Amino acid sequence: MTKRRDIYLYLTLLCFFAIIAIFVVDGYMGVYDTFRITAGERPQTVDPDYWLRPEATTYETWVAWGEKVFFNYEIANHRLTGYTAEVNASVWRSQEKVHDLLTQQVTIPALSNAQMEWSIDTVELVPGGVTQGQSVQYSIRVRRDNIERRIIIKINPGSFPVPPKPVIEPRPAQPG
Amino acid sequence: MKINYILYGFGILLCLSGVGYLAVQYVKYLSELGRLISLLLTIGMFASLGKFFESVGW
Repeated sequence: MTKRRDIYLYLTLLCFFAIIAIFVVDGYMGVYDTFRITAGERPQTVDPDYWLRPEATTYETWVAWGEKVFFNYEIANHRLTGYTAEVNASVWRSQEKVHDLLTQQVTIPALSNAQMEWSIDTVELVPGGVTQGQSVQYSIRVRRDNIERRIIIKINPGSFPVPPKPVIEPRPAQPG
Repeated sequence: MKINYILYGFGILLCLSGVGYLAVQYVKYLSELGRLISLLLTIGMFASLGKFFESVGW
């Protein structure tokens, strides 16, 4: 009876440690990337699990024309070996590359992080401004190994136009 | 003898809270196969724990 009781206890412990092992090996180990985007004055964070959703092929944000978008791209190496990759960030519109933002070779030691930063000036991107009532979309493609992240930036008009003041014609002076 | 049961209960609570913490933190990063195996192991763990307590006389 005692022996059978011990077997149940050992089975419980075995299952428990197997679950822990799966969480560590399958859940924690790997390379994860996080975006921190500041569009205008709005900080946003795109966590690694965002890209695990089946419907999440792109991340969308918006900015008013005249403002800048700041990117902080962090790669976390949760592996017991080093990680080396080339990171390339570029601006695209209508499936054509507008220009490169960053090309950097990163080497991250085991269980460490690396960060890259770049920014986009909407004035340089759309020098003529954006017509009122319309918006312009650009996509930022960040490629690392065979993984590509796409962030769509919608550039809205900077400010609403001030309506012109109605012109009031002076009344003609009445005689008498 | 009572202190033993209190310690058992404390240990079980610690184990469950540990697994709960890991589940909340990392279950989203698990692959589909990892999730399935974890689920089966969780069922096996509670089944074995139940049988253990049954054999103890609880």
